[in-house]
Amino acid sequence: MPIEIPKDKWPGSVRAITIGATSADGGTRAKSITVGGQTALPYMHFEAPMPNKPVVAVEIKSRKPEDWSTLLMNAWGDAMTSPAAWAKKAEEVGADLIVLALTLADSPSEAVAAVKSVLAASGLPLIVWGPGQAEKDNELLVAVSEATKGERIVLGICEDKNYRTIVATAMANGHLVQARTPMDVNLSKQLNILISDMGMPKERILMDPTTGALGYGIEYGYSVMERLRLASLQGDAMTQFPMLVTPGLEAWKTKEAKVGEGVPEAWGDWNARSINWEILTAMALVESGADIVVLRHPESVKRVKDAIGELVMA
Amino acid sequence: MDHSVTFTGENINATVTVPTNTLLADAALQAGIDIGQPCGGQGRCGRCAVQVTEGEVRRRSTLRLSPSDVEAGYALACQTVVESDAHIYVPPQEKIERRLTTDRVVAEVTVPADYDYDSVQTVKRLSLQLAPPSMDDQTDDWARLQTAFRLQHGMERVRCSVGLLRKMSDVLRAGDWQTTAIVETNRLSDNPTSRLIDLLPGRGDDYAPIWGVAIDIGTTTVSLWLVDLVTGKVRAQAAEYNGQIARGEDVISRIIYASKNGGGDEMRQRVLDTINNLLETACKRVKLDEGRVTPDQIVKATIAGNSTMTHLLLGIPAASIRLSPFVTAVNHPPLVTGREIGLNVHPEAVVDCLPGVASYVGADITAGALSSGLDDAEDVTLFIDIGTNGETVLGNRDWMVTCACSAGPAFEGAGVMNGMRATQGAIEEIWINTDTLEPTWRVIGGGKPKGICGSGLISLLSEAFITGVVDKGGNVKLEAPSPRVRKGAHGGEYVVAWGQETESGEDIVLTRVDIDNLLRAKAAIYAGFTVLADQVGVPLEGVSKLLVGGSFGKYINVEKAVQIGLLPDLEWSRFEFLGNTSVKGAYLALLEPRARERITAIAKRMTYIELSADNSFYEAFTSALFLPHTDLHKFPSVVEALRK
Repeated sequence: MPIEIPKDKWPGSVRAITIGATSADGGTRAKSITVGGQTALPYMHFEAPMPNKPVVAVEIKSRKPEDWSTLLMNAWGDAMTSPAAWAKKAEEVGADLIVLALTLADSPSEAVAAVKSVLAASGLPLIVWGPGQAEKDNELLVAVSEATKGERIVLGICEDKNYRTIVATAMANGHLVQARTPMDVNLSKQLNILISDMGMPKERILMDPTTGALGYGIEYGYSVMERLRLASLQGDAMTQFPMLVTPGLEAWKTKEAKVGEGVPEAWGDWNARSINWEILTAMALVESGADIVVLRHPESVKRVKDAIGELVMA
Repeated sequence: MDHSVTFTGENINATVTVPTNTLLADAALQAGIDIGQPCGGQGRCGRCAVQVTEGEVRRRSTLRLSPSDVEAGYALACQTVVESDAHIYVPPQEKIERRLTTDRVVAEVTVPADYDYDSVQTVKRLSLQLAPPSMDDQTDDWARLQTAFRLQHGMERVRCSVGLLRKMSDVLRAGDWQTTAIVETNRLSDNPTSRLIDLLPGRGDDYAPIWGVAIDIGTTTVSLWLVDLVTGKVRAQAAEYNGQIARGEDVISRIIYASKNGGGDEMRQRVLDTINNLLETACKRVKLDEGRVTPDQIVKATIAGNSTMTHLLLGIPAASIRLSPFVTAVNHPPLVTGREIGLNVHPEAVVDCLPGVASYVGADITAGALSSGLDDAEDVTLFIDIGTNGETVLGNRDWMVTCACSAGPAFEGAGVMNGMRATQGAIEEIWINTDTLEPTWRVIGGGKPKGICGSGLISLLSEAFITGVVDKGGNVKLEAPSPRVRKGAHGGEYVVAWGQETESGEDIVLTRVDIDNLLRAKAAIYAGFTVLADQVGVPLEGVSKLLVGGSFGKYINVEKAVQIGLLPDLEWSRFEFLGNTSVKGAYLALLEPRARERITAIAKRMTYIELSADNSFYEAFTSALFLPHTDLHKFPSVVEALRK
C-alpha cells in the first residue's frame, strides 16, 4: 500500500543573501556566495529543495593570536604570521568564506591594510569583525568599509547597544552586516527591526543568534535557531534572514578542547577530541538551520563540508 | 477673502484681519497672543485647544477632542483654519487639559456617601458620668467605670490594658467623675467585646475630630492619609520614599537583607522611621481652630502593604516568601496595637494590617481591588497597579485572577538619574517639538524643575521615541541634530532642561541607563497582564474597562503610556486612572467595617497565578522590551503615529 508523506507548506521563506561582489558587480571577488532562500525546514528535501547549501567560513586574525590552542597553532603553522598567508591557506583547505577578526592593537590604517591584503591573497568573499569593543569596532570598521566600497563584505558585529555606526557605513559603502543577539528570539527580531528601521535593505542582513559549544548550552542555541527558522517560514518578515553562527569560537573555549594534560584517560586523544568537539558543535547547528558556520581548525573545515555534502544529497 | 477674528479670554481681547484659510494659531500670533504649541503645531498634544463661539472654521484634525467638545466649538488652533469672521475664546490651560481625551486625572477623594460615624465606626468616643464613691459605696474605680459603660452605653465586659488602669483613677478624679472614653467596639461579632483605648477627664466635644490614619506601605513609596473619623474627611496626605530602599530596591533583596543577622530589626526600624516621620508631617499639615494634632492622638490605623512589607513591618520573618514553595508566614494578620509594633500613634491604638492573597500579592492589591470597585464590577475589568511589583487583577464580581511581577521602581522616579516623586518641582509632562527637538514641560506647582516624576518619564520616553530622539531599542540617536542629544557617561542622553533652567543648577537629563530601567519596568508590567489575560483566555480587547493605579502622581497621559507599550493599544475611553488605590482601599477600610469585610472576601476569592510556573512570562517580557513592542501589530495606533 502506498504511503503518502504529509508535507508542510509554509507561507514564508528565508531571504537569499549574496556575500561578496565579483568584477561584474563592481567588486574584486573571484566568486560570490549566496545563502538562505529556504522555503521549508532544513533538509526536508521532500517538501522543498534547498536552494543554497550551508557554507563554511574560516576565522583568521589580523595578528597572530596569543590565546589560541597550540593545536590550532600547529595546524596553521607559519600561515598565521600574516593574514594574507592565513587566508590563502584557509582557501586551500576548503573555506567558502573568510572571516577576518581585527584586534584591539590594530590602528585604522593597519586594519585597512590587513583587509586589503586578504582581499588580494584570496578571491573568497569576506566577513570582517571588529575586535569587540564598541568604540574600537566603529573606528576600524568605518575605515575598512570606506576602503573596500562595493565589495559586499559582511561587517560585524552589530549588537543592540552598538549598531548604528556600523549599519550606516555598511549602507553607504554597499556592504552587509552581521546582527548578533544573545540567544533569544525576540532580541534577535528586535535588532533586525532596528537595523531595517535605519533603511538597511533586508537583502544585506545576516542574523547571528549566538550559540554555545556542545555541552555548554548548545541546546539553548539550537532551539532558538529552530524557533527563528519556524518564525521566518510562518511569515515573520523580521526573522527571514540567513543565520551565521560561530561553533569554532565556542568549541575552542571548552575545557575538553583547551586542556591536553591532567584529564581522564577516557577522554582519549586530545587532538582528535578537540576537532570532534568543533565538528559536532558545528553539525548540530547546521541541522538546526545554520547557513554559515565559522570554524577554526582546517580538519574541521574538511569534515564539516563533507557532512554538509551528505546532508544536501540525502 | 479676508475675515475678522476676535480672540477673548483671561486678559485677552484682540481682533485681527486675516485671509481665509489662515490657521487659528497664526491668527492668534498676529494678534499678539501666544497659544502654546508644545508639540510644534502638529496636532499631537492638544494643548492649543480654543473654543470657536461664532463663525465658520474647518478642522483638519480633532484627534485630541471628544465629539461633544467639537460640538461645543472646541478646535485645535494648530489644525484649524478660519472660513468666516469668527469669535474665538482662549481658555486657561488647566481647563484645556481636563478636556483632552488622552489625559486622565485622579478624582479628588470624597467621603463615601453613606458614611455614618455613629452607626459604623468601630472606634467611638463616649461620655460617661460616674457616681462618686462614698463610705456607702466603696466599689472599686474599674467596676464603677464598667457599670457606667453598661448602664449608659449598653456595653458589657470592656477590656483595658494595665497602662490605662495605672492612670484611670487620676483621670476619673481630675474630671470630677465625668469622663470621656475612646473605645474600640466589635459589635459585628456574636459575642461583642470592647476595648478601652484611652480615658480623658471631663466631657469631650462631640464634634472634635477622632483621628485615624490609612497607610500604604509600598516597596518604593509610603503614603498615608490622616483622617477625621467623625466626618470621614481626609485632613492631610503625606508620602515619602520607603527608608528600606537603602537596603535594596526590590522585595527579594529586602528579604535577603532582613534574613541576615539583625537585618530584620533594621528593616522594621527603617520603615517605622519612614511612617513615623510621615505621621509628624501629616499632623503638621492639619489646620485646626485651636491646638494642634499630634501622632499620639491617632487611635486607629489601617495598613495596606504587599506581603513582604507587612511582614517586615511586623518583624515577622519573611524568608519563606522568597523560597519555593513561596508561602507567607501570615496572610491575614490579627489586630495589634500601636505599642506592639512601634508605631508612634496612640500606644493603645488599634492597628489593622489588611489581608493579602499570597507571597507576591498583598494587601495593597486587595485594597486596590476594593477601591477600584473591580470586585463589584459587572463587566470584565483589568486593574493594573503601576508600582515596583506591578500587580495586576483581572475579573469582575464573579471571579478574579491576579499576578505580580517585579517591575522595579522607575515609574516612581527611583532608579532614574533625575527621577523624583510626584511632588512640587517634578516635571509631570513633556512634549518635544519634532522639528527642533526642543522640549516643553509642565512642572507640578509651577516654578523651576527639580526632576522628573513617573508620569513625566512616561511622556518623556514616549516623546523621545515618537520624535526620533531614541530608536525602538531605546538607543539615543547621537546623530540627531540637537545640542540636547549628547554622549554622557553611560552612552547617549537627552537634556530635558539646561542647568540655568533648573532648581539645582544642574542639567536634567534622560540617560541610557534610565531608558533601560524604564523599558524593563514597562515590559514587566505589560508582560504581566498580557500573560494573565492569556492564561484565563480573555483577549485584552474583551476587557471593558482598564483601571490604572499607581503612586506616581495625580495624572497620566494614556496615549503616551500606550506609545511606550506600557498599556495596551485600546480606545483611550476605556482607561481610568485611579492614583494610589492601595491607600484609598485602606482609607475605606478605616471608615467602614463593610469595606473591611469586602477586603477579606477579596483576599479569599482571588486566584493567584504564578508567572514563574512556565516560560511564557519571560517570552512576553523580552518581546515587550522594545518600543512599543517587538510585535508592532499589537500597537496599530503607534504605527500610525510613527508614520506621521
